[in-house]
Amino acid sequence: MASKGKVLVIDDDPDFCEFMRIGLEADGFEVLTAATGKLGLELMRREKPNLVFLDVVMAHPTEGVDVTAAIKEDPELWDIPIIMLTSIMDTEYIGHFPTDRPLPVDQFLTKPVPMAEVLRIANETVGAKS
Amino acid sequence: MIDLHPLKLELVERIGWLIRLRWVAAAGTLAGIAIARLVEPALPVLPLVLITGTIVFYNALFLLYARYLWRRRGTGLRRRRSPIFVAVQIVCDLLALTALLHFSGGIENPFGVFLLFHVIIASILLPRLASFGVALLASVLYAGLAFSELAGWLPHVHLPQLADPRRYMNMTYVAAHVTAVILTLWLAAAMASSVAERLRRRTQELLQANQVCEINRSELAEMNERLRQLDAARTQFIVMVAHELRAPMGAIISALNLVLGGYAPPEKQREVLERAQARAYELLDLIRDLLELVRARRIEGPTQGVPVRAEKVLENVLGLLRVEAESKGLSIEVHIAPDLPSVLATEDSLRSIWTNLISNAIKYNRPGGRVTITLNRDGDRVVGSVEDTGIGIAREDMPRLFEEFFRSEQAKAMVQRGTGVGLAIVKRTVEGYGGRVWVESELGKGSKFSFALPMAPDEHATPSPDEIQKPSQA
Repeated sequence: MASKGKVLVIDDDPDFCEFMRIGLEADGFEVLTAATGKLGLELMRREKPNLVFLDVVMAHPTEGVDVTAAIKEDPELWDIPIIMLTSIMDTEYIGHFPTDRPLPVDQFLTKPVPMAEVLRIANETVGAKS
Repeated sequence: MIDLHPLKLELVERIGWLIRLRWVAAAGTLAGIAIARLVEPALPVLPLVLITGTIVFYNALFLLYARYLWRRRGTGLRRRRSPIFVAVQIVCDLLALTALLHFSGGIENPFGVFLLFHVIIASILLPRLASFGVALLASVLYAGLAFSELAGWLPHVHLPQLADPRRYMNMTYVAAHVTAVILTLWLAAAMASSVAERLRRRTQELLQANQVCEINRSELAEMNERLRQLDAARTQFIVMVAHELRAPMGAIISALNLVLGGYAPPEKQREVLERAQARAYELLDLIRDLLELVRARRIEGPTQGVPVRAEKVLENVLGLLRVEAESKGLSIEVHIAPDLPSVLATEDSLRSIWTNLISNAIKYNRPGGRVTITLNRDGDRVVGSVEDTGIGIAREDMPRLFEEFFRSEQAKAMVQRGTGVGLAIVKRTVEGYGGRVWVESELGKGSKFSFALPMAPDEHATPSPDEIQKPSQA
């Protein structure tokens, strides 16, 4: 079966990455995972994924936000849809979110995200792009 | 501190009142002279007006001096000089009044009772002894005046309209009159000064109570601030704990959702559930560590400990951890100094210290590495250390090493799961019992964690009971 598209999951929790991989792969997506924002950006530049699931709080509380800032500065990455994953607990970091400029983020989701939601978004986003 | 004592401040304010009162008295005297002259043509007006003029003159000087003192506010001069200034004024007034009396009939003049005012003013404004001094001076002046005129040492101004001319010459009458006046003066001084003294004491007590309240208030504010900081730290701790609990819980929910929702292919389901199980155990470990941490945070000094033999607890812990070490091909070396005293702690807390340090040394060691454990006495402390040949600690991570939930990047890379609480437990426990924890490490070469605990008292040289028994068994 041909891949529906490339999905990148950037999250420092290896179990979460693995669960996303299993669910998305079973639905026909090709899945890449990265444990840090830096690795995620490298993979984005190299692999040009069709969709990115990006965790906000990794080793640093705003690592996810920093990734979006880097994306904004790289025209090659502008087109890639970003789905940001936050936890309810992350709201205390809300002050770190830049308010002076819009984040290049297409949607925010609160963890834990039901797989049905992940697949719906993946299918809609990637389907619309391709 | 209060800048100017309120009692002294009152005295300073009373000086102004005294001076104003004297203007009124001088005016009253002049009016009195005028009226008395109408009734009693024998009254010598000139000396009386001259004396009144003198009163006006010295009152003007007093006013100038009072203004001078007022300008020197805050120098302490006002406070020091005010009582003397008041005393000088009262003495001047007594002399002036006596002179007035002398030229207006002496003992025949009923205004002699005005001496009483001076005694009362002195009793209110000055210390008790000073008010008796004023009473004494007034007595001496009045008696002196009466008897001098009686004896003919001073000329007597007789007021024929007012009194019988023989009155001032009647020894018995003069003596009785003078005695009555003197007694009145002294009783007035005693009563007024006693009331004034009591009032002053009350005011003093109130002021002191006020000051105590003021001090208590600042202490309370300080304590409040400390409590606020403690509360903030506790809130921060709860937030951190919630963060730590959330990650494994989120992973478990994701796993269950994956399997229950049928999103995981059958061949992957077991893997997903195994991962969920591992996270559930992680959660359990974290809860266990958190409880231990809370227990460690409650320790409030060596007095909460009992004598424990650190080497005995070490033996137990090693018995449990040896298998794990051997499975990694690690060798364990133990060096225990002879005749070690007991330390002040509890068996549980010592077990927790050894377990955390040794299991770290095993976890973060290289395969085939070594763990060296030593236990020595250093003065009145027992020092234990656990050294490994593992990954070591980066210099920049050293300050945060004992923080709750901190795990270095190297540690995370080597052992994925860890609560990050173990070293915090060790530090809190050891410091709770009045001890100290420190670490020496080189990145990539290994680390050496040490702790010093205070030894139990009365054990400085005494061997333990089983050591005493040993020779008899041999």
